[in-house]
Amino acid sequence: MRHTIKAALIASAFAIGIAAPAAAQDALKLPNMSYRTGPFAATGTPHMNGQLDYMTMLNERDGGINGVRVAFDECETGYNTEKGVECYERTKSDGTLITQPWSTGITLQVLPRTNVDQIPMFAPSYGFSAMQDGKTFKWAFNPPTSYWDGASMIMQAISDGNLDNLNGKKIALLHLDHPYGKEPIPLLESLAAKHGFSLLPIPVGLTEMQNQSAQWLQIRRERPDFVLMWGWGAMNAGAITEAVKTRYPMNQFVSVWWGAHEPDLKLVGDQGKGYRALSWNFVDSDSKLMQDVKKYVVDTGKSQINQAAGEFDSTAYQRGILMSVMLADAVRAAQDHAGTPNIDREQLRWGLENIKLDEAKLAEIGAEEMMAPFSTSCSNHTGHASAWMVEWDGAKFVKASDLLTADRASIDPLVEKASAEYAAANQPWGMNDECTE
Amino acid sequence: MLYRVAGQYKTSYEADYALFPVKQDAWLLGFILLIAFVIFPLTANEFVFRALLTPVLIYSLAALGLNILTGYAGQLSLGTGAFMGVGAYACYKLITIFPEMNLIVAIALSGFFSASIGVAFGLPSLRIKGFYLAIATLAAQFFLVWLFQKWAWLYNYSASGAIQVPNMRMFGITIAGPNATALTQYYVVLCVVTVVTLFAINITRGRIGRIWKAVRDMDIAAELVGINLMKAKLMAFFVSSYIVGVSGALFVFLWRGAAEANLFDIPLSFRVLFIVIIGGLGSILGNYLGAILIVALPVIIGNVPGFFGIPISSSSVEHINIMIIGALIITFLILEPHGLARYWAVIREKLIIWPFPH
Repeated sequence: MRHTIKAALIASAFAIGIAAPAAAQDALKLPNMSYRTGPFAATGTPHMNGQLDYMTMLNERDGGINGVRVAFDECETGYNTEKGVECYERTKSDGTLITQPWSTGITLQVLPRTNVDQIPMFAPSYGFSAMQDGKTFKWAFNPPTSYWDGASMIMQAISDGNLDNLNGKKIALLHLDHPYGKEPIPLLESLAAKHGFSLLPIPVGLTEMQNQSAQWLQIRRERPDFVLMWGWGAMNAGAITEAVKTRYPMNQFVSVWWGAHEPDLKLVGDQGKGYRALSWNFVDSDSKLMQDVKKYVVDTGKSQINQAAGEFDSTAYQRGILMSVMLADAVRAAQDHAGTPNIDREQLRWGLENIKLDEAKLAEIGAEEMMAPFSTSCSNHTGHASAWMVEWDGAKFVKASDLLTADRASIDPLVEKASAEYAAANQPWGMNDECTE
Repeated sequence: MLYRVAGQYKTSYEADYALFPVKQDAWLLGFILLIAFVIFPLTANEFVFRALLTPVLIYSLAALGLNILTGYAGQLSLGTGAFMGVGAYACYKLITIFPEMNLIVAIALSGFFSASIGVAFGLPSLRIKGFYLAIATLAAQFFLVWLFQKWAWLYNYSASGAIQVPNMRMFGITIAGPNATALTQYYVVLCVVTVVTLFAINITRGRIGRIWKAVRDMDIAAELVGINLMKAKLMAFFVSSYIVGVSGALFVFLWRGAAEANLFDIPLSFRVLFIVIIGGLGSILGNYLGAILIVALPVIIGNVPGFFGIPISSSSVEHINIMIIGALIITFLILEPHGLARYWAVIREKLIIWPFPH
């Protein structure tokens, strides 16, 4: 008798276990590849938290998107490409609607597969810059702005709007020696040739991120007029402390958006004054959007953020929120267009091509001060939102410029070349022939 | 019971030294091959192929290469990851320079590149051994990964510094690149691994294998009985690096689809070394058992909470996973320092004499 009860219990436990995923079918499966472990967790965690919390907020406040709950599961990669591919396969067999690879390395790895498996890939403001070409990269999206856009905007900011002012100057690119860090090099090289400045790429290996004395010795010797930083995780904090130590002038030190990360700057505090970073988002904790997240997620204890450390008010966390805002907008657009709340991958792809976060929409969400309006189309998978230069004032980031816009004339030919090369190297490659824009 | 050897008489030396002196071993192997070639392809889904079966096979092959060097010939090496990289980059250059080349041929040829580099870095083994040699191969590790990063010709000057596998066809079927199905890739890997394993089994139990074992156990004694140490050691480096190179080419071309230089960094070398140590030094079977433990088990454990619908965050699973695997490794090594292969040997012995233990 006792054995039968035990057997029945075990059997029902199994049945529940198997039935649980099946019952969750009426949800929008939008998993995220997280990296809350490993060497990059410091930058990864606030972004993951932001993305997750916005989706949780939609579930709590509106019961999901158009009445369908969002299943925003995480698959942990630790920024490891091998684990990333495993996560891609796992989420694919779970029937995911999207893949969010969260690393330029994993993005490059799964990019060709998404085109074959027909899964939209959402890589907000990272990944391969040439993905803006929607005709070639039918399934890949990197809104609101790409690394090449970022590089172009940074160059405008440091040259006061006219790149010819940089003639004869020397610009060092301190970058992670990884596909991500090498991403801006082609554009910067072409700009250097055109405007007569010299580019000095200084790679930082994955193993020497926290010990950059060799790199900064080189910087001290070469005395570049500007140091651009394309770093990630522990590397940024290392570079900032090293810059302070070598007394490199902070107002000549500029980073891409991942360098707008308060915890890195808090390490040096006042000594970091004048450090600038390009950022397509700006902290606005009093906005309706952030207040909703606070009310429905943070105050109810459903968030994993570290409130004591001020994570709620951090640029990275709010950037994560905005990433999910873009995705949710795409889902809503797809649902409206398809006429059903239960969309499939192809319909979501359409939605991602029709993100329309104009001023009215941003005001409605309550994020008008947090990012610049943009929209995507079938041929433009990036949207090219404008961005601000933000400057560290010793305690927080303040806006240091008006909205900057990337110089399309210098980027688009490169994109055309890179995407044509990519398609040629991956024959047979599925192009989006329906797109005639 | 299952392993009854009564009635299996050996009447010649040939029979006694046959590949399978006990009939049941051959049946068992046949059964495993049946599972690998027929049952898995019929039942597994794409996730199982891409996350479990193919990587286990490829890692086993890399471990097999290292095991020949370390387990059989007694030469320590920490450069396995870099030699895999040599195989991968050589294969990439071969197929981009000769696009018409058959991928299998390219993979087989790329082994020779890593073999020659392996021999070059094996030269110090003539003068130094043990930890000193391990450090010399560590230099190979750092140098080669640095070379993969700096020598842009190797990755065809691509902007990201990564190598991408194009779609490649063989006999009308796409076998590599994004369009290839997981099943085809699995079959190709399985065939290559089977052939190389067969080769490795025979070379290690024949004359050359015995020379290596003699060098491993006491090189001065081996030299005294007339073994040419230089030839023996360099041959071990050659064969080992060849297999490691082939596994590197498979790693990128039939599994990953793309790779950057950092992939072949020291963690990969350590991972392969762990497989060898956990599996069992000086054993062919051990490589497979070790790879299952190190490569497949974390994936399986990671899926358990999701399968039972246990609400636990993915990063906690990752932490728990690392702890479980770490604990398992320590437990196995305390209980059986000779690795998992030794467990199987013990079980087999017991089965043969069952039910009458000594």
